[in-house]
Amino acid sequence: MGNSDLRSLASITELPFAECTGSTVAVDAHNWLYRYLTTTVKWTNDAVYTTNDGTEVANLIGVIKGLPKFFEHELVPIFVFDGGVTELKDDEVERRREQRRDAEEQLEAAKERGDAVAAARLEARTQRLTETIQETTRELLSILDVPYIDAPAEGEAQASYMNRIGDVDYVGSEDYDTLLFGAPRTLRGITSKGHPELMDLEATLDRHDITYEQLVDVGILCGTDFNEGVHGIGPKTAIKLIHQHGDLFAVLEARGEHISHADRIRELFFDPPVTDDYTIRTDVNPDVDAAREYVVDTWEIDASEVERGFERIESSMVQTGLNDWL
Amino acid sequence: MFKAIVSASTLRDALDSVSVLVDECKIRLNEEDLSIRAVDPANVGMVDLTLDAAAFESYEADGGVIGVNLGRLEDIAGMANSGDLVHLELDEETRKLHIEMEGLSYTLALIDPDSIRQEPDIPELDLPASIVVEGAQLDRGIKAADMVSDHIALRVDEAEEAFYIEAQGDTDDVDLKLERDDLIDLTAGPANSLFSLDYLKDMNKAIPKDTEVTIDLGEEFPVKLHYEFAEGLGHVTYMLAPRIQSD
Repeated sequence: MGNSDLRSLASITELPFAECTGSTVAVDAHNWLYRYLTTTVKWTNDAVYTTNDGTEVANLIGVIKGLPKFFEHELVPIFVFDGGVTELKDDEVERRREQRRDAEEQLEAAKERGDAVAAARLEARTQRLTETIQETTRELLSILDVPYIDAPAEGEAQASYMNRIGDVDYVGSEDYDTLLFGAPRTLRGITSKGHPELMDLEATLDRHDITYEQLVDVGILCGTDFNEGVHGIGPKTAIKLIHQHGDLFAVLEARGEHISHADRIRELFFDPPVTDDYTIRTDVNPDVDAAREYVVDTWEIDASEVERGFERIESSMVQTGLNDWL
Repeated sequence: MFKAIVSASTLRDALDSVSVLVDECKIRLNEEDLSIRAVDPANVGMVDLTLDAAAFESYEADGGVIGVNLGRLEDIAGMANSGDLVHLELDEETRKLHIEMEGLSYTLALIDPDSIRQEPDIPELDLPASIVVEGAQLDRGIKAADMVSDHIALRVDEAEEAFYIEAQGDTDDVDLKLERDDLIDLTAGPANSLFSLDYLKDMNKAIPKDTEVTIDLGEEFPVKLHYEFAEGLGHVTYMLAPRIQSD
């Protein structure tokens, strides 16, 4: 997902929670959930996160374990779900589906061999955001009064747009593509251990002395969700070539290379399908009892897996801050 | 310019009172005193400390600000025996703090004060009740409450002229009642607030057991805890935001 080559180019610094408390964050919901599914499923016995009839709802554990971090630091998340698949991404999506099918076959084989480690790793890769996962996540967020919106296409494009026009303070994503979507400030690892990382677009551009448009060209040369990169061009080379030739097309011409739909790929970053049809709400009042009932009773999640998360949400709701008295 | 000599125990008392809330802080090296103000990342607990120039064996400063990693500075101060004198000198050129004690010399790299979280504004609170207790009494109440719960109620009963420290757990309850005679002083007023024990325990760690602690309290208001150290030449005020009472 996205291109981790960009990490070596991005300006990334640790941002203590103290400096972002009270902020709004548009969270790339799929990216965030995917991360939780892969970690939850990796370490937990599957009886814990499936219902009696075998429906997987590990996402509910992920939501309850992840949200307290936001509440405790008075961050307001706005979850942004993916809408339809962008046409160009179809090939990539298809390729990933194939990878998953391969992983599923290998998983069966690993299980037959009794190779638990290999099976667990493969299991993580075969997780996908099923209909049930999509629906129950939205339902649980509603019960917890956490705002979410549906993007017309890419969730990270929508989240980046909301950040760019100043409607939210940060984008929350583990993906580096938010830089290419023009998000000024991306928070990474909000729900991981320790403090988050701040990925800053302006500082990234300054560091390499390039424009935002040129950064997108660098991304395309290295490869994005929408295209394979040019063979032999890594991030450093891409920067050098862009400095030398000015833009993507000049670089391609000079090297005698071709990227199909290069024009349209650029447009997808510069001007992706986004919506203005949303409102930002910061008064979040979770109904923890109803959420507990939904997760533990309705979806049969082992209470011991989520109780600590619920307690953390409850206590974050009752603790006031000194700034309330200024 | 900053050059000072201070006893290791005074330095440690000062650092401990701040490090229970934050890892890094700004230290203001004023002409008349050294001062620190900091709030924890969640904005729940605040400390405001001053240490008068007279608390030092010698003290020269002209109003600079330095940023320090408290853990590192505490480790260094921990190398001295209580009675030892610690020499501190700021090197303006290199932005390093030279620390010397009993033949041991240490150069501490400072942190850019601008990279440290801004010092908080102090809420102005008009708190109706004031209780003065010994550090040891407060410690006893907090330790007892911690056995049963993760939060603690501080309350004044105006009619009884008594101060209550109470905690309700899932199964067990704890009450510590201190009447006027048990207290050093009491100004009774309507006061009843609930606090997180996590914070209060940390603050309590830094409060000397043999000192007088003044507790200013209101109804669902932050609490202020003041005490002195370094023979009355150091002053600490903690402020802690309350929890919302559920019933």
